Amino acid sequence: MGTPLRESDVAEKLAGLEHRRVSVAKAVLSGGRRYLTFVLLLFLLACASVLSPSFLSANNLVSVAYGSSVLGIVALGQTMLLITGNFDMSVAGVIGAAGIATLLLMPFGAIPAIFAGLGVGLAVGFLNGFIVIRTNASPFLVTLGTQLLLYGAGLAITQSQTLYGDDPFFNWIGQGVVLGVPVTLLAFLALAALFQVVLARTPYGRCLYAIGLNREAARLSGVPVNRIRLMSFMLSGLMAALAGVALASRLNSITANAGLGYDFLSIIAAVLGGTSLFGGRGGAARTVAGTLVLGLLDNVLVLLGMTFAFEDIVRGAVFLLVVGFDRLSREER
Amino acid sequence: MGGRLRLVSRLLPSGNQRAITVLVIGLIVFFSLTTPVTFVSTANAANLLRQMSFNAVIALGVVVVMAGGGLDISVGAVMSMSAAVVMGFQPHGVPVAVVMALAFGVAVGAINGVMVAWFDIVPFVATLGTMTIASGLVHEYSHDMPIPGANVAFTVLGGGNLGPIPVPVLFMIGLAIVIHVTMTHTPFGRAVYAVGGDFEAARLAGINVALTRFSTYVISGFCSSLAGILLASELNTSSTQLGIDTPLLILAAVIMGGASLLGGRGTAVGALLGVLALGLLATGLDGLGVQTAQQTIIRAVIFVAIVVLDVVSVGRLWARLRLRTGLSRGREATPM
Repeated sequence: MGTPLRESDVAEKLAGLEHRRVSVAKAVLSGGRRYLTFVLLLFLLACASVLSPSFLSANNLVSVAYGSSVLGIVALGQTMLLITGNFDMSVAGVIGAAGIATLLLMPFGAIPAIFAGLGVGLAVGFLNGFIVIRTNASPFLVTLGTQLLLYGAGLAITQSQTLYGDDPFFNWIGQGVVLGVPVTLLAFLALAALFQVVLARTPYGRCLYAIGLNREAARLSGVPVNRIRLMSFMLSGLMAALAGVALASRLNSITANAGLGYDFLSIIAAVLGGTSLFGGRGGAARTVAGTLVLGLLDNVLVLLGMTFAFEDIVRGAVFLLVVGFDRLSREER
Repeated sequence: MGGRLRLVSRLLPSGNQRAITVLVIGLIVFFSLTTPVTFVSTANAANLLRQMSFNAVIALGVVVVMAGGGLDISVGAVMSMSAAVVMGFQPHGVPVAVVMALAFGVAVGAINGVMVAWFDIVPFVATLGTMTIASGLVHEYSHDMPIPGANVAFTVLGGGNLGPIPVPVLFMIGLAIVIHVTMTHTPFGRAVYAVGGDFEAARLAGINVALTRFSTYVISGFCSSLAGILLASELNTSSTQLGIDTPLLILAAVIMGGASLLGGRGTAVGALLGVLALGLLATGLDGLGVQTAQQTIIRAVIFVAIVVLDVVSVGRLWARLRLRTGLSRGREATPM
């Protein structure tokens, strides 16, 4: 299917490295794409502040970001995997399964229970990665299968009931506030910063891009391709599990289908930010922007008095517009 | 005699469909032996066929898209919205309602097709976008409420019987014949397989690749809305809950039936067999008293097994487990 172009390639191309001409229009479009999500974010902020004077208050901004933080954590893990050219649809199942494991083991203390929940995510990530790498099967389908598996297991364990849990430390993760900022939001932003540094400044991050751009070339360059892909699947599982724990803590309860829709939403958030589905392109900061665009969209629609149903329609339309713009801004393959 | 033999051998499953045929026969034998009273009855067979017909109609469209190297995950949302449209337009008469619902499906299919064929947007992304929009439209259009039926005659389409055969099953068989003949005996069908096999080679062979890809999505949209109409007719209501897990179910069925995400493969017969296998599994396990949760687990395990076997033949899998060699240099899976 070819390798998508990175924006940074444009600069190289202008320098004539690939002996191709890049028209000025393409360069402008390409530069536009780089900041499109951020422009969209500012536009939505402006819209919202015009619609409601109280919108720009620190309290409201924090609450909007807090509302998106669980999705954001999932989307961060998804981004790392997307950069290698892989997918994780099982996140929707992991959220429920990790929450269930945590709440079931709560009698043994909050910290062991939370570690058990995160362990579920790591184990599922390992299983996904193992199957995909060993058999070369499609990551999309394999993780779709494990999602179904986790959902079934969750239903069987909970007997289709809602699980409840209460513990001071556990509650703190989803409901606590530090210096006016919710803990989940802090975790989301800290992880985003960490991932951004890892992607931009460490060998591991560069390996992710290398694998996503051309796996065979990466392998020949000495990148431990399979180990890094496996780690990325496990990272995605871990992030989804963390989101599941945070969600369970926020609601003090969990159901097997708590993660319903997070598979597609996390991919939408990442792609909105500019991460490519074919790997080799993307970043954590962009995913934060993509997540916040989704959160702000919802907020603006509520301010406009739209019903809940409109969110999906507008979300889908914005998603397709951004993707279409993205396609136009790239050179013909 | 030779002609008839050739006809029989052509109808018999070949290559890709052998596994699914064995699975279907195995399931029938297994459930006939374990639950002979409930499973082996005309009532059960008719019910099973009626329930599978809705998904089968969708799968027949999806198999065309996948044979052309595409993917359509908007099918569930299109089905749901078509069901809402066909119920909502009933006051204007059944024909108008049906035409409106089909027009909706074709329109979404056309939008998918334009985005994929001419704007070169990844099929997964394009249909994910229309899926999101369509499922939002369902909630908006029906105000999150079921739309009840206003016309008893309409319920015949999905709920009626012609002799012992449920009417939707006739739709399924008719559509299957049309798709089968189109895919195997027309230039369009050959073009779809050629495009699914290799875009560039198909283009060089003089095939209008974009138009062919576009058409497959329109067919899929049409089939999904037809399924929505039949399902709404059977239930005599629409519901926002329809079609939520449809994309996954249909993908499972179609891939079990021999289609591939890599394109160029997949047949109408295979799609029917895939849906039949899932239907048999659900009905048979219900009869055995297996809970929904355990059924979901069983379905998931079978799904993953089929997905893995899609890229790795059993023989090579054994060889690999024995030799513990690295990755195969065989067919490469795409990200989606």
